[in-house]
Amino acid sequence: MSPIDERGLRELMVESDDLQSDAMRTAERDLDDYVEAVLETHSGRTGSRDPGGMWPGWGKTGLVAGLAGAGTLLAAGPAAATTVDVQALQTAASLENLAVSTYKTALTLPFIGGADANAVVKAFAEKTMAQHTEHAEAFNGAVAKLGGKAQNDPNAKYAAVVQKAVPTIKGAGDVVALAISLEDVAAQTYAKNVSQVSTPELRQLFAGVAGVEAQHKAILLAVKALVDGGAPQLIALPPDAAKLPDAAGSVGFPDAYYPTDKASPVEEGAVK
Amino acid sequence: MSTDKRPEMQISERELAAMTRDLDELHESTFPGVRKLLDEFSANLAHLTRGRAAGRRGFLMGVGGVSALGLAACSSNDTGSSNKTTTAAPPATTAAATYEGDLKVVALAAALENLAVTAYTGALDAAGKGTLGTVPPAIGVFVQTAMKQHKDHAGAWNGVLSKAGKPTITDAPLSITADQVKALGAAKSVPDVAKLALDLENAAAQTYTFATANVTDAGGIMTAATIQPVEAMHAAILNFVLGQYPVPDAFIGVDKAVKPDALMPK
Repeated sequence: MSPIDERGLRELMVESDDLQSDAMRTAERDLDDYVEAVLETHSGRTGSRDPGGMWPGWGKTGLVAGLAGAGTLLAAGPAAATTVDVQALQTAASLENLAVSTYKTALTLPFIGGADANAVVKAFAEKTMAQHTEHAEAFNGAVAKLGGKAQNDPNAKYAAVVQKAVPTIKGAGDVVALAISLEDVAAQTYAKNVSQVSTPELRQLFAGVAGVEAQHKAILLAVKALVDGGAPQLIALPPDAAKLPDAAGSVGFPDAYYPTDKASPVEEGAVK
Repeated sequence: MSTDKRPEMQISERELAAMTRDLDELHESTFPGVRKLLDEFSANLAHLTRGRAAGRRGFLMGVGGVSALGLAACSSNDTGSSNKTTTAAPPATTAAATYEGDLKVVALAAALENLAVTAYTGALDAAGKGTLGTVPPAIGVFVQTAMKQHKDHAGAWNGVLSKAGKPTITDAPLSITADQVKALGAAKSVPDVAKLALDLENAAAQTYTFATANVTDAGGIMTAATIQPVEAMHAAILNFVLGQYPVPDAFIGVDKAVKPDALMPK
């Protein structure tokens, strides 16, 4: 396939859309299972499946903000645990909303979505934006089913970072670097959330999305290395592997264990 | 391994290699935190194997490890650190019945990592013999780097088994191993090997996703959560190399996960 064979690329994306739809259905099932598990637990304890009766303080996000960690959380009881679950989902949605808006803005730039853009980079930005939209919908869907408020705003902390960075963007490499940062924060946050949420279903959901954000980062790291190396022509599907620099084989996955030190606190993007 | 002619680039190979070294240092800096996490996981499992359920105390200990992981800031250049945890291990065996509960998932993970190492080692051997044709240098670097990370993972999981008083897993006693080895033997080109590796990486990523929901110890859950994205990243690069869309799914599922019942007696 030629590096600029957009039709071939679109066909690949259609194929992956089919795969993604299957995966999305699985994720929705996971969320439904999670919600059902929570409601059943609540029903068993109180005789009511109304989460509002158990968690009157949906808006009181400060309720558990001072909790030091999941251990304290567990000791605080199931209501606090579920509140944190909702906060984690809302924070996740805030990160996804920011990613969507950032890719949307990037696609208005000539070197990402315009005439000067590499076709593969443009298609990747479009598809990645769509995947982040699905993640946000999934996280907010779970929040809504639990009676919480959907998080429709971008993460305030990192929105400020993006806002500060945008005027300094001079080329595709700058955009890719910004995207790497956002994908990394999301992946680290969800990897850590796996240990913070209260049910197996929700752990699986956060892990399932963490891996995808990490994949976005891997590809962006490879793209950035080629852009910075003055070889954007090698960003193609398939790439001309024979011409790739040696280090391109490893630049996409720098850690044997995904770090979590940049993970957003659970309450960071919770709805106030 | 035969190689192609190299293109001229504005950034030199030396600079790119330096970038890789920086990334290696980054990787090494994350390992001490994971090792601490694994130590606590092992301690909890040791309690269980002695017939004393860890219960909430065990969970809280594991959570402490999770916090430690996030706070770890020290660095290490001890690339053999994962091996150190296995030096005092009991003799290796592959009897599936030896492992129960979380330990069965740990044993499964070790076996799966060993299978990946075996596959990449086989690919390097085949490349050395010229069986795969001309192998681009970047592909060789990918194989070596991914293989090293899988070795780290296997060493980590075996460290848990060893400290829990269980035999380590030094091979790949899985129901899928024979087919994978056969497929590797039939590979005649780089894409053939890349497809095989992609299947294994996808299976590993999904297995760890499964593990996050099916392991009970917080330290074990967190370890799986920090390895899963790495296997997923390997898969993304392999998809890219194969000319396939690199991030095909918005969610990583579990339908291709290797389940604990795939762990076989010898």
